[in-house]
Amino acid sequence: MNESQLIARVIAGDRLAGRALYDTHAPRVYSLAYRMSGDPERAREFTQDTFIRAFARLSQFRGDAAFSTWLHRIVVTVISNARRSEVRFAREVALDEANLIEASAPEAEPDLKDCIARAVENLSEAYRTTLIMHDIEGYTHAEIAGILGVPEGTSKSRLSAARAQLRQELAAFKE
Amino acid sequence: MDEKRFDEMLRDLPRSFNPPDQPPLDDMWAVIEDAHFNAPASASSRRGMLSRAPWLAAAAALVIGIGIGRYIPSSAKTTDNPLPPSTLASARQPANDSSAVVDAYRDQTSHYLGQAAALLISLPAKNASGRADADFAGKAAELLVTTRLLMDSPAAQDPKLRSLLDDLELVLVQIARLRGDRSKGDLDLIHQAVEQGDVLSRLNSAVVTNQSSE
Repeated sequence: MNESQLIARVIAGDRLAGRALYDTHAPRVYSLAYRMSGDPERAREFTQDTFIRAFARLSQFRGDAAFSTWLHRIVVTVISNARRSEVRFAREVALDEANLIEASAPEAEPDLKDCIARAVENLSEAYRTTLIMHDIEGYTHAEIAGILGVPEGTSKSRLSAARAQLRQELAAFKE
Repeated sequence: MDEKRFDEMLRDLPRSFNPPDQPPLDDMWAVIEDAHFNAPASASSRRGMLSRAPWLAAAAALVIGIGIGRYIPSSAKTTDNPLPPSTLASARQPANDSSAVVDAYRDQTSHYLGQAAALLISLPAKNASGRADADFAGKAAELLVTTRLLMDSPAAQDPKLRSLLDDLELVLVQIARLRGDRSKGDLDLIHQAVEQGDVLSRLNSAVVTNQSSE
C-alpha cells in the first residue's frame, strides 16, 4: 500500500494505517524534536502533538508537497510555539530570581559541550533550526526549504550565517 | 578555538549535540491513538463525527445559519442571488452582497470566540467534580462542532483565525473527553496545551480584533 492509500485509510478511521504511517515517520520526527529540545520528555510530547495535529488535519493534506515535508512543517511549528512560550516564561523567572543568582557561588568553567550548547541556543530561531536540521540531522537544503517555506538559497545563507556566529562565539574557548 | 578545531567540532555535532535516545514508539502511539482514534469527538474525523451525528451538524449549522440570516440586512437577502440563511453550505456560495456575509460570519465568530474564551477561563485548575466535568465536556463538544464548521467556512480564510481555530479544536477535543474517572493529570495536560499554544491571549486578541472591525 503506498502512502496516499495509507493517508486515505487514516482519514477513514483505519488505525492500523495510522500506525503504519506513524512508524514510517515517527523516528525522524522524534529525532528532530529531541535535537531541538534536548529533553526526552519534551521530544516525546512534541512528537505526540505533531501526529495528533497531523492526523486531525489529514483531510487538508493536498499532496502538493511530500507528506514528510508537510509533517515536518507541523513539528517545526509545534516546537517553535513551545519555545516561544518557554522563552517568555524564562524571562519572567529570570526577573524573579535575579537576586538569588547574584548571591549564588560562581559557576565552574564551562566545558566545550556546554559552550556549544549555549552557542547553539543563542542562535536565532531560523539559524538554529537550519543548523540543527542540516548539520546535525542531515536534511538537505531542498528539504529544509520545503519544510520552512523558504528558497533553497535562504536555507544556505542561514546555515552559513549560523556557522559564522557559532565560530565567533566559540573563538574564545580554550581547551 | 582555531578553524581546524571548529571544523572538527561541526563534524562531531551529530554525535555530541543532544544525541537522541531510542524513540518510545509504542508509548507515544498509545497517546496518539487514544487522542485521535478513541476520542468521542476525534479530531481525525471531522466529517466522520458529523456523519455519525448528523443532527448535531444540522443543529449547529442551523444556529450559525439563523444567526447569519438575522444579521444580513434585508437588502442583501432580496438580491437576485439570495443567500439561504439556514445552512452553512449555502452560505459558502458567492453572494451578491459579500460584505454582508463577511459581517455575518464576523458576528458569529465573535460570539463563538467569546463562548470559547469563557469556557477556557472557567476551566477549573484541578479536582473538579465529575458533574462539573460533564458540564464542561458537553459545552466543549458543542463548541467543537461550531469550531469545525467555522474551519470549513470563509471565516477561516484569515490565517491567524485559522491557526487559532486549529489550536482550539485540539483543546476542545481534550475537554470534550473529560470524564468523572479522568486521571489527575488530564486537566494539567489541557492547561498545558492552552498555555503552550498561548490560546487564551490569542483568543482575547481575536475577540478584540473582531469587535473593533464590526
